[in-house]
Amino acid sequence: MNFLNLAMLGGLAAGAIPLIIHLFHKSRFKVVQWGAMHLLSAVLRTNQKRLKIEQWILLAIRCAIPLLLALMMARPMWQGAAGLLGERPTATAVVLDNSYSMEAGHAGTSNFSLARDETQRLVGNLRRGSEAYIFLMGEDTGLLDEPTRDLTRVTQALSKAGCGYGMARVPRALEQVAGTLAKMTEATRQVVMLTDFQRVSFPRTEDEALGQALKRLRKLPAPPTITLWDVGVEAKENVAVESVEFSKLMVGIGQKVQLRANLHNFGDSARPDLRVTMKVDGREQGTSQVSLRAKSQGQVLFSHVFDRAGSHVVEISTEADAVNADNSYLASIPVREQLEVLLVDGSPGATPDDLKSATGFARIALSPFTAGKVEQADLIETTVVAATDLRASQIAGAAVVVLANVATLGDAPLKALEEFVGQGGGLLVFPGEGSDAAWWNGPFAKVAPLPLGARAGDLKEGAPTMGVLSQRFEHPALEMFNDPRNGSLAELALKSWFQLKPPATTGHPTDPLVMARLANGEPFLAEKPFGKGRVIACATALDSSWSNLPTRPVYVPLVQRLCVSLASNVYPPRNLRVGEPLVAFLPADAAGKTAKLTLPDTSTVDVPVVSQGARGVVEYKLTQRPGLYTLLPTDGPPVHFAINADRAESDLERLSPSEIQAMAKSHGLQLVHSAAEFKALENVQRYGHELWRWTLLGLLALLFAELLLQQKFARGGARS
Amino acid sequence: MAHVSDFLKPSDLQRITNLQVLARQVVEGFTSGFHRSPHKGYSVEFKQHRQYVPGDEIRRLDWSVFARSDRHYIREYEEETNLRSTLILDRSGSMNYAGTSAGGVTKYEYATKLAACLAYMMVHQADGVGLTTFDTQIRRHIPPRSRVSHLRVILDELEKGQPGGETDLGDVFHELEAKLHRRGLLIILSDCFGEVASFLKALAHFRHAHHEILVFQIWDRDELEFPFKTWTQFDCLEQAGVKHLLDPAMLRQTYLENLATFRDSLVRGCRRHNIDLVPFCTDEPYANALAAYMTRRLGRR
Repeated sequence: MNFLNLAMLGGLAAGAIPLIIHLFHKSRFKVVQWGAMHLLSAVLRTNQKRLKIEQWILLAIRCAIPLLLALMMARPMWQGAAGLLGERPTATAVVLDNSYSMEAGHAGTSNFSLARDETQRLVGNLRRGSEAYIFLMGEDTGLLDEPTRDLTRVTQALSKAGCGYGMARVPRALEQVAGTLAKMTEATRQVVMLTDFQRVSFPRTEDEALGQALKRLRKLPAPPTITLWDVGVEAKENVAVESVEFSKLMVGIGQKVQLRANLHNFGDSARPDLRVTMKVDGREQGTSQVSLRAKSQGQVLFSHVFDRAGSHVVEISTEADAVNADNSYLASIPVREQLEVLLVDGSPGATPDDLKSATGFARIALSPFTAGKVEQADLIETTVVAATDLRASQIAGAAVVVLANVATLGDAPLKALEEFVGQGGGLLVFPGEGSDAAWWNGPFAKVAPLPLGARAGDLKEGAPTMGVLSQRFEHPALEMFNDPRNGSLAELALKSWFQLKPPATTGHPTDPLVMARLANGEPFLAEKPFGKGRVIACATALDSSWSNLPTRPVYVPLVQRLCVSLASNVYPPRNLRVGEPLVAFLPADAAGKTAKLTLPDTSTVDVPVVSQGARGVVEYKLTQRPGLYTLLPTDGPPVHFAINADRAESDLERLSPSEIQAMAKSHGLQLVHSAAEFKALENVQRYGHELWRWTLLGLLALLFAELLLQQKFARGGARS
Repeated sequence: MAHVSDFLKPSDLQRITNLQVLARQVVEGFTSGFHRSPHKGYSVEFKQHRQYVPGDEIRRLDWSVFARSDRHYIREYEEETNLRSTLILDRSGSMNYAGTSAGGVTKYEYATKLAACLAYMMVHQADGVGLTTFDTQIRRHIPPRSRVSHLRVILDELEKGQPGGETDLGDVFHELEAKLHRRGLLIILSDCFGEVASFLKALAHFRHAHHEILVFQIWDRDELEFPFKTWTQFDCLEQAGVKHLLDPAMLRQTYLENLATFRDSLVRGCRRHNIDLVPFCTDEPYANALAAYMTRRLGRR
């Protein structure tokens, strides 16, 4: 039992007043010389004891009335069994929503700063020795790694906390908090979630998951009280750059890259003349204006030509509004100076220039300037190696490996090749005269997109040839041939080819994909992902022995596109979602050293380079904050990672108050909207329920009882 | 020397006298005295004939009827006697109570006035009046006489006495009965406090001796209504040292119930013995009360 207004307890002294009045009356009695004593004596004789008791009862009730009144004014609180334990430290877990929607706010104060201030106050008000743990919902991690009793440290860390992080996932956050709470030792526990109740954070589909998370919390040995704190002020006007799309193919110097920014106006008012800017490596390279109606989407197209190789960052941004985190979208575009293609020749000629060799035409097609001795740099740099001379180290240095007419490979080169593709390399396979179906369908089957079937066609002069089916190509490598101006695959005439067995589709993402078909429906080009890389196989040979392929205008773009497409598989990826680990491959000699990583808030962390196979690998997992992460290896160019948050948070629509109520009610959660409400709730939890209503009822009951009893006693429950 | 006017205000006397005149007018020609004699005996006033039954005195036979009709008839007369009344005045301590509403008049004072009225009335109609005062025992016994000068004796005695001591009506009445040689009217002026059973038994004893009994029960308003509110110490008027300190409000209802029971048992006992019990309250003008009683008495006739 506690009292909110302790001074009023002094009023308890008033309890003595009826007693004093009683004694006063008793001492100031009147004396009557009484005749009819026999009537009185008879009454007294039988009732004296009862009268005394009744008198005491009345006196007790009368004394209780001022006592109860004083008690009521002292505002007593009942805290049940908890009160017996006294004032104990608590274990408090605060789930603080720092997703970027919390940037929105009212009158210059963001919802987040409001929530943060309240959290600071809440932590500051905790009893000494209490454990506190702050979970940042947008960041999906704790403010400090572990719960701590050092509350000053928590408040200090809180003042540095910011928002602008990714999606707030409520069930996930509660699950994590449940795990942490289990480690906390205090028995009095509370979980407070400060959030803006954004509609996207509480989807109906996650209602069950939320229930599960709450169930887990409640199943803890000492279940916490769970309170939702609505800190949101709805700010509807918001325009977000939802995404930036650009070519999936590798970008080279001088190539024109098109970037398409998707904009979304979530607000209720139209945004005419919205300015959109493109910055490349921090410099403004283009602006555009777009008009967006209320609640509509629009696109802006930018193009840019990179003039130097390396990692580039493109940022497309709009004007500032309530939420800044979604006003710009980052893209990391690696621009390559050269693409190393290793041509593995199964039937090498006497010289590399020999067109009779399986790779003769391909080498010229891939690096025409070098072949033509022209003073111009080729994007692709080719290295030709005989299949028999292939070494693992040669494979590791290439971006794409082309196998042409290779009968078999030794175990070591094959293993190196598998590792190369598995770690993101590209492999292009052309069969030929020497192809060994047994090897292809045997040791090589793991890598090969499709099993090699029987050889078809006739090489004799005048024999009928097989064309390539004219169709719309979906694959990025063949997309350009949808435009007849860029050449047509229909020109091809195949004299001989291998029947690639068409895959049985299982719907699995690793299923081989047929990129182009022959006129008879058999696969002409098929692709299969292998590990983190991809493998493309063709049904016919790379040279001119089986088809007119090298002699057609389509040959050069086709071979180049295939190689570039395979090399474009930028791995590890540079454009990530928040929370996805950031991985970079560095040369093997960097292993054991540390690389510097600049984070979006311009702070720098050291990340170790771990040796993995033939390369050094850097991995950084704490990518909750969207923005630009720049990896600076000790020797080598910087690598940029663009980490963008899911734009679902941009829709600032909140749950309606009734929905919030209903949600809180259905899950049995406490709901508060202000510090005062929380304080009241906390008081109830800490000190118990206010009892003044009950005291008042008791008081009224006593008043009635006094009246009734007095009447009853005077009327005489007494019998003479 | 006390005079009747000490007890009765002139207006009171006027009322009583008027009543007397009225009473005389009502009974004129029927009885010569105001009171009918309960005895049938030798007199001038013939009452009735009745058949002789063995055991009747032979001398009371009406021989002339026998001569005429050869039947034995007894001739009965209405005895015409003067009424012999004895006023029995309670002088116990409880009679000394003077309530607030009675204006300081004690029950005893009231009773003496009442007694004076009665004595006056009776003497003036040539009835014999006696007076007995008692508390635990008989204090004074003045036998009934009808001389006017006797009134003085009675009034002196009434004025002289002061109440005190306990009451024991039962024992006193038994003692008194021995002193009343002739039957007559006994008028008891008392609050009748004490044991009801013993009181009624004593009354029965009187009745047995063929006395007609009238009980004027004197109450104080306080005793009937118990109006006390604040804490009060009740000191017993009869027994020194008996006192009760109590909150009267708590007891009032029970007291009143107890009182009702007491009065009820008294009323029923009196009715059983054909005794008139007339309550008087000291705040009523006693002349009024007396008149009311007389009216009733006449009405019953």
